[in-house]
Amino acid sequence: MARGKVALVDAAISGLDGNAEALQEALSDCLLCGRCERACPNQVRVEEIIMKGRADLAEEMGIPAWKQVVFGRVMPSAAAKNAARTAAASAQKLFLRKVPTGSGLHYRFPEKFGWEGRTVPALPGTSFLGSLAHGEAVRGEVILFVGCVFDHVFPQVGRAAYETLRRSGKKISVFRDAACCGLPALVSGDKASALRCVEENIGRLSAASPERIVFPCGSCLLMFRRNVLSFLPKGHPLYGQAVRVADLCEDYASFLLETGVVSRLPDPPKGEKAGRIGYHDPCHLSGTLGKGGEGREVLRRAVGDSFAEMKGADLCCGYGGTFNIRDYPTSARIGQNKVSVAAEGGTAVIATACSGCILQMRDMAARTDPSLRVVHLAELVFQAISHR
Amino acid sequence: MDGQPLSALRDLFGERLFTSREQRICYSYDATGTMSLPDAVAFPVSAEEVRRTVLLANEHRFPVIPRGAGSGFSGGSVPVQGGLVLSLERMDRILSIDTENLVAVVEPGVVTETLKEEARKRGLFYPPDPASLKFCTIGGNIAECSGGMCAVKYGVTRDYVMGLEAVLGTGELIRTGVTTVKGVVGYDLTRLLVGSEGTLGIVTKAILKLIPFPETAATILAFFRSNHDGSSAVAGIIRERITPCAMELMDRTAIDCVREEADLPVPDDAGCALLIEVDGPRESVSTEADRVEQACRQYGAIEVGRAGDAKGRERLWTLRRSISPALRKVNPVKINEDIVVPRSRLPEMMAFLADVASRRNLKIVNFGHAGDGNVHVNVMISGTDEEERRRADEAVSEIFGKTVALGGTISGEHGIGISKAPFLEMEVGPLGVSVMKRLKGCFDPNGILNPGKIFMEEQMAQR
Repeated sequence: MARGKVALVDAAISGLDGNAEALQEALSDCLLCGRCERACPNQVRVEEIIMKGRADLAEEMGIPAWKQVVFGRVMPSAAAKNAARTAAASAQKLFLRKVPTGSGLHYRFPEKFGWEGRTVPALPGTSFLGSLAHGEAVRGEVILFVGCVFDHVFPQVGRAAYETLRRSGKKISVFRDAACCGLPALVSGDKASALRCVEENIGRLSAASPERIVFPCGSCLLMFRRNVLSFLPKGHPLYGQAVRVADLCEDYASFLLETGVVSRLPDPPKGEKAGRIGYHDPCHLSGTLGKGGEGREVLRRAVGDSFAEMKGADLCCGYGGTFNIRDYPTSARIGQNKVSVAAEGGTAVIATACSGCILQMRDMAARTDPSLRVVHLAELVFQAISHR
Repeated sequence: MDGQPLSALRDLFGERLFTSREQRICYSYDATGTMSLPDAVAFPVSAEEVRRTVLLANEHRFPVIPRGAGSGFSGGSVPVQGGLVLSLERMDRILSIDTENLVAVVEPGVVTETLKEEARKRGLFYPPDPASLKFCTIGGNIAECSGGMCAVKYGVTRDYVMGLEAVLGTGELIRTGVTTVKGVVGYDLTRLLVGSEGTLGIVTKAILKLIPFPETAATILAFFRSNHDGSSAVAGIIRERITPCAMELMDRTAIDCVREEADLPVPDDAGCALLIEVDGPRESVSTEADRVEQACRQYGAIEVGRAGDAKGRERLWTLRRSISPALRKVNPVKINEDIVVPRSRLPEMMAFLADVASRRNLKIVNFGHAGDGNVHVNVMISGTDEEERRRADEAVSEIFGKTVALGGTISGEHGIGISKAPFLEMEVGPLGVSVMKRLKGCFDPNGILNPGKIFMEEQMAQR
């Protein structure tokens, strides 16, 4: 129930002479998972109210310095994102302890960080975009919007998405020099930085006039399909373009189904460890955007009866973007429940289609059960194409 | 509340006491949208803490307002006179589910759906199903005697409370009722506490009755030309000696609201719809469903659909479920009443409601649990027009008058709280009010518990 937060925003609008910090604290305690909104018979747009509340407060109180740097300088610029990854990759090797996991190498933060043993994936030396040959995937009728995480943190996902999209027979172009989708800035109330990201992206996506724009990450997709339209003022010069772009945006799984990539996959092997692969419902993708069935359908075709409905598939992973940084212990409690319910139900591999969920569930798996693998749907589809 | 009681509460609750303005705002309202700030909010975890709180309240004379999830529809948990909101959300354990005696023992903060699910896992059924069951609590359900769709067959919260543990307004801890099916030892204090809206005691533990989970169910959706036909069918089905586990009526305005969204065909001339569910053993469900269909046709149904599997049933239910969200299309502000009339008087009541709406030029949408005679009368207003608001208030008062005249009651499942306090005497009479107030004095002599509810202020002063 989000009535408390809505009541708070209401009180703030009507001139609450309270403590802005306490208000900010309360509004920050929200994963924006959208469950309250979907349960609300009166369809109160809680997510929007909370994001607007956060933005108003941020205007009043300012954005913390680290966020200003990350959202305002790094995220809107492709070059800065590259530089940040390289720097962070070296720092990881120097300062953090290695934890091998089923999904690849992770590093654990020392206890003194107060992050209760948070782990982070080992950052690669090269991004997915960096791995593309000069002139490769520059022009095409379908644009792949990789997203920061699948470009810089898990380039193998970016690669898998690209390779599998190519099987559609469409010419795929990878969106270069992309700014961040802007969602992390927006949910933190940093409207100015979010606006910079959006302006960077919308103008160029619109100019390319693609047939479709495909998103491997459900949260990036939500930003383009819905959030941009609710926070861009109607009179903004890009508003019209944003509406048209929103209509072109589509999730990875739907595109695969539509273009027949999935039906052309070789038959999956039968009876091989039946039921060990599950699908995790990202809140934004399955919940808000209602795209839960498509991911499962793709998975079923890619891995056959290795797929089974996972226990607690629609439980939130607890990531919530910056929520995970602000209140790691709570975020981790939600996340550990998520992965342990899945593991207890017999799932050994969790497939999904959202960068935040993958980051979070890999961390949770590294902490509780390093043998549990967390992958993007595209990785399994790519595997099915390559190995049979 | 000044420094002294606050510091005593701080000693008792420590971190579990909220006093900042922001925190208090989050406990200042309920589903009516009424807001009134408490002075503090405390989160007890045991009956002993509740008891000590009420003792402190008697010593320092501050109001104590028990609260579940704040989803009530009559202002029952709104701290209209300030004081301490006692949020029972952390007393949320299911203490036991006894599958041999079909009894559950729970703390008040258990979410209704959680109990229903736990019972279901054991093949058992806790029937009360208020619309807010996903987040409302058993304690709140007991305080307001919540009902729901299945009341027509299975009754309301009251029918499932066998015994209670509660802290009275004096700070004494009382245990009422039994853990057995039968029991007649002295006055029935359990039933008195149920529906008392936190004005007599604060429930700290409840002993609840469970029943076997019905084997199967079937759903029937019937469209009629008019409210008269539809509501006559309701009375007709009851007369046929069939007791559906849900019988929901939707009037023309309600149907019009959802006509476009519903993913099932709605006949153009449909002026009323009935959604009927029958449950029980497989053999009887199928014959009962046949008889329900027959009865609907007999009363002029223009179309009857039926589903036996979960998916099909869910599809029929979407029509009913999409009404609430769609109401905003009519007007943004909803005045929601929950009158009940004897089922045989439903056609008369429906005609009267239509008459009030046209006479007073108001938009009134009627739907609800018609099977038990409970109609949710939703007067939809703009919220900005004072004159319209006045007409709506007058209409509500006229509707209440008619309800009582037909032998009905002005609140089936929401309670009196603050929103219906002016009408209490209309239904129970001066002697009824007087006896209730004498009882209140006996349970809570200092008027600590949830002051300003049920009775009008002046009625309280006369005591």
